[in-house]
Amino acid sequence: MILTILKKDLRLYFSDKKGVLVTFLLPIIMITLFAFAFGGVGKKKSTPKPLGILVVDKDSTSTSQEFITKLNSLPTIRLISSEEEKALDLVRKGENVAALVFEKGFSEAIATNADVPVELKYDAARDIQMRIVHTILKDGFTYHLGKGDVINQVQLKTTSVIKQSSTKAHPGLVQAVGGTAIMMLLFSIAAIGGGLLDEKEAGTLKRLLIAPIKPLDILLAKMGTAMIVSILQLTVMFIFAWVAFGLPIFMDASSLIVLILCISFAVSSFGVFLVSTVKTRQQLQGMSTIIIILMSAIGGSMIPISMMPAFMQNIAIISVNYWGIEGFFDIFWRQLPFIDILPKMGVLVAIGFGMTLVSTVLFKKNIIEIA
Amino acid sequence: MIQVQNLSKSFQDIKAVNDISFTIKKGEIFGLLGPNGAGKSTTLNMMSAILKSDEGHIHIDGNLINGHAKTCKHLIGVVPQEISLYEDLSAYKNLLFWGNLYGIPSKELKDRINKTLALIGLLDRKNDLIKTYSGGMKRRINIAAALLHHPKVLFMDEPTVGIDPQSRNHIFEVIETLNKQGMTIVYTTHYMEEVERLCNRIAIIDSGKIIAQGTQAELKELIPTKESIQFEFNLLSENDVNQLRGRLPYPLSQNKNKLLVECTVQELSKVITTCNELQLSVEDIQLNKVNLEAIFLSLTGKQLRD
Repeated sequence: MILTILKKDLRLYFSDKKGVLVTFLLPIIMITLFAFAFGGVGKKKSTPKPLGILVVDKDSTSTSQEFITKLNSLPTIRLISSEEEKALDLVRKGENVAALVFEKGFSEAIATNADVPVELKYDAARDIQMRIVHTILKDGFTYHLGKGDVINQVQLKTTSVIKQSSTKAHPGLVQAVGGTAIMMLLFSIAAIGGGLLDEKEAGTLKRLLIAPIKPLDILLAKMGTAMIVSILQLTVMFIFAWVAFGLPIFMDASSLIVLILCISFAVSSFGVFLVSTVKTRQQLQGMSTIIIILMSAIGGSMIPISMMPAFMQNIAIISVNYWGIEGFFDIFWRQLPFIDILPKMGVLVAIGFGMTLVSTVLFKKNIIEIA
Repeated sequence: MIQVQNLSKSFQDIKAVNDISFTIKKGEIFGLLGPNGAGKSTTLNMMSAILKSDEGHIHIDGNLINGHAKTCKHLIGVVPQEISLYEDLSAYKNLLFWGNLYGIPSKELKDRINKTLALIGLLDRKNDLIKTYSGGMKRRINIAAALLHHPKVLFMDEPTVGIDPQSRNHIFEVIETLNKQGMTIVYTTHYMEEVERLCNRIAIIDSGKIIAQGTQAELKELIPTKESIQFEFNLLSENDVNQLRGRLPYPLSQNKNKLLVECTVQELSKVITTCNELQLSVEDIQLNKVNLEAIFLSLTGKQLRD
């Protein structure tokens, strides 16, 4: 009897292709992503893309130039020459992980065998990447200065371009709150969007279509609901982070409000987009689980973007999570002015409009036609 | 009130509606009778402006649906086959929501809701959640939601599916009341008894085509079988039958003690009087009606509920 029931259950389980996909494909994708993120994959076969580090040569001597050329020959880094002000601005905005500044007197220090006046100015939000860069450069300096294996003899001074202060959030907290908030939001919104499919199954969608309203109004109303819930959910999450962990949400409240609105718009449009691509609740469940977890993994909600290899960082830009999390870093960590956060907000709004546009077409095809 | 001309609709290779035409007069209850999958709901969906036809035209009160869908939607009320209500809202809040979609002013809408709930006999339950209602009560609210904007025409797509006879009768009474108030009603069903009770005119639809339409009397003329009454006697001799033939103007046929008389119910008393005069003792009387089921069977060779 047990065997009969077991056989039936297995038959039913394997007949649900979406369910099987979630069970087997999703963990495979996640293992692959995390394997790339945490290392140990593909390194033997291919050379990783070198890390871009800005270099500012204030010494401007043949010795400093020669030394920069030697450092640039290291396979793991690529030095990009820049002016100090511009370099620090790029690091501050999170565009580059660090700037290596050769101070005046570098050639003299080499000649006198004194401590070299070189400073690595970095973005503390990218702590792990920074540690890698620091190790590479320190090894490079030790090797090229001929100090043998006594690594500690070369002191590479490091300074964060953004000073930690009482008004500033710890980057780890920004990552935890921002990353988790967006991922959880995606799940909530997918569920709200699924309400459209419930309406279809219950027959109320048909009655809505019978009423003298435009079909698009139904989609936009659902998106509006999702957006209001998104705004509320993000607001509650940030208030909680403020109360529980002291996240300074009033530091730049206006930028935070606009960013929450942009994220809510992008996420809501993503919700209706998801719903428009499927025909049943069951399909939505499978599809949304896969896409949201995948997007959150590559977008930095699960592991910081800075820990990921370069190719994954390039893929990250397709996710809402990436732009939202980066926006939060701009506000809470980098403390950028509104105008500098605007491009990221713009990308979120563009994602929102793009997905809404696609959703309207798919909604007509997948939802209305068979209501 | 409604003109449907050469209407067709296909879904991939299946022709769901195939070149149908009919006209519905103002104040009529028009029945669209056919088995499941005949094309009734597809026709009604096109008439409700939620499904575009491949070919043909539909006019509602002089308005062509294509291009004037919004105007037409204000003229029609639709009772879908499914119970299209929000289970977690009360009947009142459901009706408030559906009424708002038609732009009815708030005060007037509240008044209309109460009147409509009174009409369907559920005013006292208006604040109860729909999920607490019986199937029949839900069906009645389903009808109420289509009435709030005072449509000129009401489309009802199998509104009595799965309910008890008492609720069914209640719904019939509501339909008859609405019709008396001047509302034109289009009623689709596969229950011929419902059509026979309610409809002035009927279109019989099968495999996407209208195979016959007219009043019940007109439809009955379409088939050779006539209404007849079967009498069963205690004893019936050939002589008795001959005597009856001499006195009654109707065709008679004998089968042992049974006599089949091709006459109507109205003519029944004349037959009984004659039998009494001949001192023939009638044991049983059975009416063989020519109903829509028989007409459908005769025209298509299959049962209505196939």
